[in-house]
Formats: sequence, C-alpha cells, structure tokens
Amino acid sequence: MPQSIRAGSGTRAAIFAPLDGAGRAELVLQRLTDAIVLGVLHDGERLPSEAELARQLGVATVTAREALEILRRNNLVHTKRGRDGGSFVTFAGEGSTNLQDDRLLAWSRVHLRDLGVHYSAIAGLAAELAADRASAADIDNLERVLDRTDAGTADAARRGQGTFRLEVAALSHSARLVREELRLQAEFGALLWLGLREPLRRKRCRAVQRETVAALVAEDGALARQLTVSQITESIEWLIEAKSLLEQKGGSTMTGSTTEAVRTVAPA
Amino acid sequence: MTITPEQKTPRTGACVTSVAAVFDPVFARLEQWADLVERYAARPGTVADRAELDSLVEELVRREFADPVGCVIGAGFVSAPGFLGWHLAWWLGGQNAASPRLPANGIRHLETLEDPLDENFRDYTALEWWRVPAQTGRRHITGPYVDYLCTDEYTLTLTLPVYRGGNELIGVVGIDLSVDEIERDLVPLLGADAVAVTVINASGRVVVSTDTHLATGALLRLPGLTKLLADPASTDGAVGLHGAHTFQWCGRTELAVVAGPAAVLAPS
Repeated sequence: MPQSIRAGSGTRAAIFAPLDGAGRAELVLQRLTDAIVLGVLHDGERLPSEAELARQLGVATVTAREALEILRRNNLVHTKRGRDGGSFVTFAGEGSTNLQDDRLLAWSRVHLRDLGVHYSAIAGLAAELAADRASAADIDNLERVLDRTDAGTADAARRGQGTFRLEVAALSHSARLVREELRLQAEFGALLWLGLREPLRRKRCRAVQRETVAALVAEDGALARQLTVSQITESIEWLIEAKSLLEQKGGSTMTGSTTEAVRTVAPA
Repeated sequence: MTITPEQKTPRTGACVTSVAAVFDPVFARLEQWADLVERYAARPGTVADRAELDSLVEELVRREFADPVGCVIGAGFVSAPGFLGWHLAWWLGGQNAASPRLPANGIRHLETLEDPLDENFRDYTALEWWRVPAQTGRRHITGPYVDYLCTDEYTLTLTLPVYRGGNELIGVVGIDLSVDEIERDLVPLLGADAVAVTVINASGRVVVSTDTHLATGALLRLPGLTKLLADPASTDGAVGLHGAHTFQWCGRTELAVVAGPAAVLAPS
C-alpha cells in the first residue's frame, strides 16, 4: 500500500533489517541505541524477544542477548518477567544528550564528513530526480507533510526532517535510493540532525524544506540537489564544531556509566 | 479524431490488447472479492466482525500468492472508517524484498496503526489508492511508486471500491503488483520494431517502455498529452498526437499506450 500509513514505519523496518559484516554485537547495540535515542522506538514499547531479534537481524541468539544486556545496563530497556514479560524501552529523553555526545566524541571528523558525503550522494540525487518526476499531486502531498510537521521541539523537527527526506526520496522512483535513505536514517539520523536542538536551526531547516519543494515545483533538479547537499554539509559542520567544544571540555560521559555528565554546549 | 486504417502514425491496437490481457484478469479478481466482501457485509441480522472478515479475505488472497509466476506482492481489503473502523485486512507475500522474513506459510499480515488518536496515525482515506476510487466509484491504478511501508518494492496498486446495498462505501479491495514482474510480462508483448511503445498511467507516468531513453517512473512529456489524459472518457479509438505519435486508452484499465519515434537525447 502506498506511502506512509504511519509515518516513520519505514525507518522502523530498517532498524530490524538484517545486519551484515563484522562486529555484529556492536552493530546490534548501536542500531538499537540509536533507534531508542532517535525516538523511532518509543518509551514503553516492547522489543522483540531475544530469539525473534536474532532472527530478524540475522545474528546468533547469544549476540542479541548480549546487546540487550548492555542496553539494560545503560538503562535504555528494562526486562519484565512473566506472562506479559519482555524487554521494554525505558527512554523518555533524559540522558539522550549524553548518549549522543558520546557518539560524537567517538566518531572522528573524517568519519563524520564521510557519512555526510555518503548521505549527500543518496539524498542529493534523490532530490534531483524528484524534480523531474514529481507530479502536481506528489507536490500537494509533500506540502501536506510539511504543514503537519511540528518544528516546536528538537525531537519533532528531527522526525519531521526524516519524514520529509523519505518522501522526497520516494519521489525519485528509485527503490534502491529509498532503501539506502532508510538505512542511513536508521544508522545515523539521530546524530545527523542533532543541530535541530537549536530553535534557529529548526527555523532554517523548515525554510530549506520549503525552498526544496519550490525547486521541485520549478522542475529545477540542480537547485533541489544543491539545497539538499548544502543542508547536509551544514549539519555535518555543526556536528564537528560541537565535537570540538566537547573535546575542549575534555569530557566524555561513557555510555551508561556513572561518570559525571558533561552537557553539550551548542556551537553558536 | 479517430485514425483510419490508412493512418500515418503507428498502430496501437495490438499493444492495447496486450496491456488489457495483463490487467483485466487482476481487476476481474478484485470484482470477485468486492462481491464476496459485500455479500458478507450485507448478511441480514448480523454485525460485521473484523476477525471473520480477516479470515475471509486471507482465504482469498492466499490463492493469489500461490501463483509462482504471478506479479502479486500484496493484497487485501481496507475498511471504511464507518464500517469496521480504521482497519486493514492486508497481506504481503510472493517475490518481494520482505520475502526472506516471511513466516513458513509464505504470507505475512500487514501490521498497521489503527488508533486515530496515536500521533503517528495516518488517515489512509486521503491516500490516492483510497481517495480516487472512493470519489469516482470506479477501479483505479495508483503508481508506479516505491512502497517503502511494506515491501520497499516498486509497485502498482490496483483498487476497487466496495459498496453495501449499492451506495454505502464500506471499503476498497486491492492488489499490489511488482513493477519488475509487470515489465517481464509486458515488454515482450509490446513488440520490438523501430517504433517505441510506452505504457503510461492516467497521470502520464511511464509504467513500462520499449524506449531506452524513457525510464519507468518518469513523466512522459509530449505536447497535447495532458489534454488527452484529462478526459479518460473522451476517446475509445486511437488518436494522433503531435504528428508522429499515436495515443490510445487501454480499455477500462486506466492505462494508455503511446507509440511513436523513440525519444532523442539532446547532445550536451
């Protein structure tokens, strides 16, 4: 069935898509942590069982168990025994700043920039193709998506940006670009749009979304791509600046540990 | 104007027959399903029940997925809010990206959010596959589009409204077809001579084309085409278009065939 019957569900599907490559336990942990911090998995939501999780992600049960155990230690899930038991997300936004800061400290500038380049390649071409392929009805739909988007809080703005990017990707009519968009959003969407913590950035993001729609209406693929790529570049630069500030403060709060918290000071 | 046998532009009759041969049986099946659902809903003295209806629909769609060379990747019934509330009796299966994760019985029920108070709830009656047949009372083809909700596949959705007592809309029955498979079935039937044959939907979007320069999903841009598409009832026969092309609706499928010289890419 077409388009999002529930927004964000595509991203959810990507969260539970099979993992490949080495270091699977870490990947499981990272993907689930991101999904929780990102709000794709909601507070109080029940996670699949160890066996089910292992099956969906294509890892050994022991790997899934290990990842759940660390999530529990990090206070991101809690486990209830008994008939209505299972692992439940226990994240209400508290402490997310610290988790995101940890990720930011752990990833090098080279790594961050490379993520930006990869995502620009995907989202930029998707926007360019969308300008050629979007019909008037598609544009109406995109405008409805924007009208519904609430840019009042960082979380809402981030979800709104995720949905907007996904809708634009779908207009490219490339199944591969859409899959890659979903995968990248699941992988580092939470981090990429961290700058939306700032009200001014949220306003700017909204303006770029409107300009992008205008470029699609004008069938100006080059402009749509340029707007997309420079928005991603700005976000990456914000992250690198935030990382520098964190490093100057000399502090990491290791994930889930009890070391003293260091708040992010957002760059100007 | 209807073209006489001495026409100068290419003939489209055989292609129209081929397109109808692919889509008519699918619509015939939908008509059968609509009839069965209506009969269930109209039983005197009983109240329609979600679980009962679900098992009725599952029985019907299971047969579709059993066809090893079929194009069906999703099928079911979507309830009008006033009938069973917000409800999708929808199944996925067959050759799609979700297949590796299908349970042993080969089909998977689509889980959706049916609580209108949830923030992620999406009113499906606003979506094209519901909206258009509900407005016109007729069959409709939505797409091709990338279905990032269920399958991540490039999809065509065929829907047909279901009425109780002749005028109360109680839902739509629908079938999702894989565009990959449609191409496999259809292209060999369109002929491979010097004339390029393109099948478009009612918005002018390319479904399949024998023209190398025309991608599925692109909008076909020919002078006068928009006007022809605006009035589906206008013509039954072949119509000359822009001097060199022939345009013809494919019966009641809501698709049309355009035949003519292949597009020439301007040297850049």
